[in-house]
Amino acid sequence: MSTPTIVGSLDDEQLPQTARRGRRRRASHHAEASTHHRGPLWTAAGYAGMVLVVLVIAVPLFWILLTSFKERGDIYVRPAQWWPDPVTGQNYRELTTRIPFFDYVRNSVIITSATSVAKIVLGVISAYALSLLRFPGRSVVFLVVIAALMVPNQITVISNYALVAQLGWRNTFQGIIIPLAGVAFGTFLMRNQFLSLPGEIIEAARLDGAGPMKLLWRVVMPMSWPTLVAFALITVVNEWNEYLWPFLMSDDESTAPLPVGLTFLQNNDGVTNWGPVMAGTVLAMLPILVLFLFLQRQMIKGLTAGAVKS
Amino acid sequence: MQSSVTQPQSATPGSGGPPPEVGPPPRRSSGRAWEWSLAALLLLPNLLLLIVFTYRPLLDNIRLSFTDWNISSPIANPVGLSNYIEWFGRDDTKIIVRNTLVFTIATVGISMAVGLGLALLLDQKLRGRNLVRSIVFAPFVISGAAIGIAFQFVFDPQFGLVRDLLARIGVASPDFYQEPGWALFMVTVTYIWKNLGYTFVIYLAALQGRRADLDEAAEIDGATAWTRFRRVLMPQLRPTTFFLSITVLLSSVQVFDIINVMTRGGPQGNGTTTLVYQVYQETFVNQRAGYGATVATIMFVILLVVTVVQVRFMDRGKQA
Amino acid sequence: MNEFSRRGFLGLAGAAGVAGLAACAGTGTSPTTGGGGGSSNTIEFWSNHPGNSKPVEQEIIKAFEAANSGLKVKLVDAGKNYEEVAQKFNASLAGGSLPDVVVVSDVTWFNFALNKQLSPLDDLLSSAKIETSDYVDALYNDYNLDDKHYALPYSRSTPLFYYNKDLWKAAGLEDRGPKDWDEFLTWAPKLKAAAGSDKIVMELPDGSNYLDWVFQNMVWGYGGAYSKEWTPTFSDPNTVKAGTYLQNLAKDGYLKLSKDPAPDFTAGIVACSMMSTGSLGGVAKDAKFPVGTAFLPGDGNCPTGGAGVGIPATISDDRKKNALKFIEFLTNAQNTVTFTQATGYMPVRKSAVDLPEEKAFLEKNPNAKTAIEQLPKTRSQDNARVLLPGGGARIGKGLDQIVQGQDVATVFKGLDAESQQVFDSQIKSKLGA
Repeated sequence: MSTPTIVGSLDDEQLPQTARRGRRRRASHHAEASTHHRGPLWTAAGYAGMVLVVLVIAVPLFWILLTSFKERGDIYVRPAQWWPDPVTGQNYRELTTRIPFFDYVRNSVIITSATSVAKIVLGVISAYALSLLRFPGRSVVFLVVIAALMVPNQITVISNYALVAQLGWRNTFQGIIIPLAGVAFGTFLMRNQFLSLPGEIIEAARLDGAGPMKLLWRVVMPMSWPTLVAFALITVVNEWNEYLWPFLMSDDESTAPLPVGLTFLQNNDGVTNWGPVMAGTVLAMLPILVLFLFLQRQMIKGLTAGAVKS
Repeated sequence: MQSSVTQPQSATPGSGGPPPEVGPPPRRSSGRAWEWSLAALLLLPNLLLLIVFTYRPLLDNIRLSFTDWNISSPIANPVGLSNYIEWFGRDDTKIIVRNTLVFTIATVGISMAVGLGLALLLDQKLRGRNLVRSIVFAPFVISGAAIGIAFQFVFDPQFGLVRDLLARIGVASPDFYQEPGWALFMVTVTYIWKNLGYTFVIYLAALQGRRADLDEAAEIDGATAWTRFRRVLMPQLRPTTFFLSITVLLSSVQVFDIINVMTRGGPQGNGTTTLVYQVYQETFVNQRAGYGATVATIMFVILLVVTVVQVRFMDRGKQA
Repeated sequence: MNEFSRRGFLGLAGAAGVAGLAACAGTGTSPTTGGGGGSSNTIEFWSNHPGNSKPVEQEIIKAFEAANSGLKVKLVDAGKNYEEVAQKFNASLAGGSLPDVVVVSDVTWFNFALNKQLSPLDDLLSSAKIETSDYVDALYNDYNLDDKHYALPYSRSTPLFYYNKDLWKAAGLEDRGPKDWDEFLTWAPKLKAAAGSDKIVMELPDGSNYLDWVFQNMVWGYGGAYSKEWTPTFSDPNTVKAGTYLQNLAKDGYLKLSKDPAPDFTAGIVACSMMSTGSLGGVAKDAKFPVGTAFLPGDGNCPTGGAGVGIPATISDDRKKNALKFIEFLTNAQNTVTFTQATGYMPVRKSAVDLPEEKAFLEKNPNAKTAIEQLPKTRSQDNARVLLPGGGARIGKGLDQIVQGQDVATVFKGLDAESQQVFDSQIKSKLGA
């Protein structure tokens, strides 16, 4: 490549040498470390641990799943019924007929993806400014950002409702999304990550003439991939489950997300049939779990990809 | 002003490689104004959102904490410090603060320790670890309200799993919903179960990104597994541990859904009432929004102080 | 007076916020609905669809729109329970965008009325020439403050005595509910013997789940009350007697509290309970034994419950007029029958029971008949529970403590003091103002 090195296209070949070395070494060594010192005893203990984890954590989950396939009269029986008899799909049918389930799903997807994208972008650029740029009052600004985590939403909703209603944004997606888009958690997480990067690599890239945005995209981000994936996952989960604000903002299934919609399966003055509620819980969980399976692979790939390339 | 803030004190020279080329333009002199404006540009959207939707309501809340505002009233009369005086003098304050402390300390301690353990375990190359990772993460995905309902089937004194399991070994199940101590235990366990996925994922990400060369160096030195963990791994995870100790604490203190669905703050009125639940209860149930605002303000101040102390502690640890 | 307007402040803050927002707004702008003004020919109805009633509500709305061309009703999902509707309504009070019609429960309506956020309906009713004498008296008068009415009854329920006929038979009891609580005490040992050790004689909801509602029946049965008008009367010897009765039931192992007695009762492990009439449909469907229902013990000791519908005070007169038209339609004899048959609530009109479809329904549903026959014997609840802010939770806490064995007189004395203090500080100055 003939691009001048001053502000040249900093692709992998042209990464400062220390950066390249550091990355390759870390990546390859990490992979090695995972397999290295494992005698058969360690392995056995590892598997035993996994079985224990599955037992403790999965049993309540399994119970939710079972309940979603039980008939109404079989949910509350003594002794507890460990396998639905008969297995019924009725709860899932009721879930999709008694409430406009797929409208809620659509709204959840819109709200979650828009809010998550906004939060991830804002979180990364805020964290970058707070960790790798120099400006006066940096730590004050940082404190202002994380102190936002200390404000419970019970006290912000009334005042925000007033503001958003005056904008005429009640029962609209922007009315739900924009007030949720500010990000304190992600800024904190990513700043922490960026600060933990080896300083010699950053400095080397700088000296190599990488501009600040290039530094972010080509050096800082690739080395922060696992944390970014974790940030994305947690953000998606939180937005997917957001309840109080969307409930106050939405009027009906034109904007209300799933957590709000599922509550209409409950009977507020009488006997609730929990089967469809559990079915709704299971279906609401599935897309996020699929995303997790996909992203947690990315978490590792991000690192090993660099190693393979160089 | 320091010329390069980004250079950590611990920066070591590149391990044996040739020194990097010296960058051409003298960035540092012109960099400042230019860096300031870039920082402002990057921070502004986020700060604006936080100021408008978090700090504006917070300031409003602090103002209202000095009034007798009834949630449905258009009018709020200033009452000076009387809400604050009332809070410090009231009997239930002690119980609520104690509940909050017990709940928070237990959830922070246990979910961080177990989350780290799980991350270490599932960082190993074991067959089926992807599935197990998903299982650990799954409870975090379910909304707090749904978990509260699902755990009714775990803790219900008549139909619950716990009762069922205890009955098999001939032990009677406590009534988790009616005895205050057990009720607090129940919401704590449920909360930890739900949020393990969070500490787990953050620790796992940190493990994936760690510098394994240090591990190896230690191994070559013949250090035992425990020493490696303590001397090599934990220091590397320190920023993550610090981050989690703050975020888990802040979110535990603000638990609402699980308590609202499982116990509504009961039994016996405030058996599982924590500070945030009290804010809700006073504001929306007792309609004393002014007093609710007072509790929220006190909570904010406490959290701010605790966090600042944590940050200090972290800084001191770094220098040591 | 050193008073200042909250709305004014919010308005200012809001304007500042808008200026700030402009910088980062602009993501997907879609047509927006009107703000605080509202439209005079679209009636916004904020409901939590009590008793899973959304389909019925929609049906009634359709009929209303057909009968009143030019008027539209927008049904809004305003919450999953009464507390959430109140929360959302409170939010709208601070920021505009008010509904036209809102569901308010036996507990939540009063604070809105006291703070002049609900319209008194009397003048509206008389100028619209709507006759109120057909509403069941106890239900209509539940919304009375200073001789004005602030809501009309909508989804109204009462507690009912539920019993397991199989266990009743096994204990050799007559197929009926107890005459009074003293009689029940003579039944309890027989029931316990018949039920065995793993079953429960009586299960009631705990103090976080409205024990304070059904316990009023016991209190009144012993001649006590939570309060007389605004004076708390927990320390009244008769109230204490009822509290002691409750405590002894628990001590003797006859009574257990739970979050929700309905599942335990329908599973057949509880001999009897006091639960809302709203549970009737679900319990009858799930139970694998014959379910008996009876009046609550005593005569005329059944508290009312449930919710009504009100109109915000600050909307325009045109909107109020239309809103009232809709409320009248929603609660007329025909529609109250449609609504209650679908949900298990009580018809709120006296003439409803004379309609042929209601007669046919009651013929087929003897348990629903018990509930309706009990309706004229209901009594409006004590102020200390429903009108004092946080009253239900406060009393529920005390009752929990009593059941756990704390001294009745001491707990009730504390309730007296707390209730009085809440009245003095939050209610007194606003009454008659």
